[in-house]
Amino acid sequence: MRSTLAVCRRELSSFFTTPVGYVILGTFTAISGLAFALTFIQFCRITVSPADHGYEGIPNLEELMISPYLVFCGQLVMFIGPLITMRLLAEERSRGTMELLLTYPLRDREIIFGKYLASLGIVIAMMTVVSVHMCIVGCYTDVEPAVLWFGMFALFLMSAAFMSLGLFVSALARSPVTAGVLTFAMWFISYVLGTYGKDLPEHLNSPVAWGATVSRGIEFFWGIFRKLVIELPLDRHCEQMAQGIVRPQDIAYYVLFVAFFLFLTFRALESRHWRA
Amino acid sequence: MIEVSGLTKVYGSITAVRDLSFRVEKGEIIGFLGPNGAGKSTTMRILTGFTPATSGVAKVAGYHIEDHPIEVKRRVGYMPENVPAYGEMLVSAFLRYVAAVKGVPRGDVGREVGRAMERCGLGDMANRVVRNLSKGYRQRLGLAQALIGNPPVLILDEPTAGLDPKQIIDIRQLIKSLAPEHTVLLSTHILPEVTMVCERVIIINRGQIAAQDTMHNLTGGDSESLEVEALGVSDTITPRLKAIGDVTKVETLGGGRYRVVSPRGKDVRGAIVQALSGSECSLVGIQRKGRTLEDVFVEAVAADRGGVE
Repeated sequence: MRSTLAVCRRELSSFFTTPVGYVILGTFTAISGLAFALTFIQFCRITVSPADHGYEGIPNLEELMISPYLVFCGQLVMFIGPLITMRLLAEERSRGTMELLLTYPLRDREIIFGKYLASLGIVIAMMTVVSVHMCIVGCYTDVEPAVLWFGMFALFLMSAAFMSLGLFVSALARSPVTAGVLTFAMWFISYVLGTYGKDLPEHLNSPVAWGATVSRGIEFFWGIFRKLVIELPLDRHCEQMAQGIVRPQDIAYYVLFVAFFLFLTFRALESRHWRA
Repeated sequence: MIEVSGLTKVYGSITAVRDLSFRVEKGEIIGFLGPNGAGKSTTMRILTGFTPATSGVAKVAGYHIEDHPIEVKRRVGYMPENVPAYGEMLVSAFLRYVAAVKGVPRGDVGREVGRAMERCGLGDMANRVVRNLSKGYRQRLGLAQALIGNPPVLILDEPTAGLDPKQIIDIRQLIKSLAPEHTVLLSTHILPEVTMVCERVIIINRGQIAAQDTMHNLTGGDSESLEVEALGVSDTITPRLKAIGDVTKVETLGGGRYRVVSPRGKDVRGAIVQALSGSECSLVGIQRKGRTLEDVFVEAVAADRGGVE
């Protein structure tokens, strides 16, 4: 436990003794603040004349403002995330300090959890910025605090899940830049799928000449593919939770996501035993 | 303390270490020599648990490295070549971190870090950023982090590389002072350093042991040899030399030169001068011919090369 915390502390201190940490947090604060103001203004506009925007009566604040804002913040965390996670293990490798780390009496789990905890620490620092915005919402509207808390929790889960993915990529790469670019590419693919996946047709019609069996097969695999494209992107599972709806399946998704990628990180770090 | 048998490490198509076997007893300082790419660093990396061996057994303090990596790592202080470190950290913060991950009790961390810094002459550098340290101080930092936690075994990969002469002397003295309580395996390119610091030497070449013995035995053991140059008929000179009391062996080298071997510590030069001061022959010169580690090294490496090619 103490070693895990030592690894985590060292990682965080590196993050905050170099400009990197402040640049990342500053960027996040600026963009999330802007997003908060813009979604708020948009919401105000709609409430002034709901009918013009196709709403009957005053629209729902959670649905129209809090959820889009929190999901946007999640996307922002994932956009900046590669800069955080790329350093975790790949930098140790590129600096040569991996040789120290792996010859100190540390277990793999102490290294991995220490690094992961550090990335969560940075996520929490970002969440404090979001919490300021949530406080403003809480003070000036009658939204239940529990909804705001839960929304932030959902955002945290989404970010934590992404960090585990980034940690895994960092464990594979030899240079932080490779790790960063790969992680960013993964986020981008997930973002594109999340945006356009909803528009995929439910049924894929194949030519009649192909016969019933082939059509059924294509239909079956198309169904699986479509489901994956819709369900895999990280932000999708946050949309409803950010409105304060507790969805155990979404929480389970994030928890399993983290567990899966931490498992892969263990395997990646262990691969030094069989890779030449 | 360190036990290696049949150690082999293969990187793809390159065999870095081939069937290496040696033992290091407690409290010994062993010089680990070899030309570039001989497999020194690879062996050290295997012993510290950084890279696994392809086959063979390596034990440190009785623990098998593959089966009990943590137990081994607790007992080994390792100073890698080029001393990697976290550039943005303060020297003292880095060493405190090392103490924490090495499991030094919380209350002792300050004392332990202070002790390591003092031993390595880093006292004035505590609040410097690692990145700004000069090469010499960086080497010291590497040694200091290895010493933290007082591990019984120290594995040092070229600890004096890139230091100025004064620093080299300091570090040598430090390594020498570690001897009774620590077992030290030291790799280096500087042969005189080994002569000064190490009791025993392992020379490896192309991943195999080319020679291993104590410094004493490698550099001639209990005998000393002189090269004598004399004018005259060799048939008369050789018996005269052999007749001297302490001379154990006389070899004819040709061209009027002879090698005279005597027990270490007995000076036979006076006797030689007397023996060869006759009418039939005359002494022209006497030269001490000690076998240096350099001779041994070149011989061991060259012999192996000849054998392979």
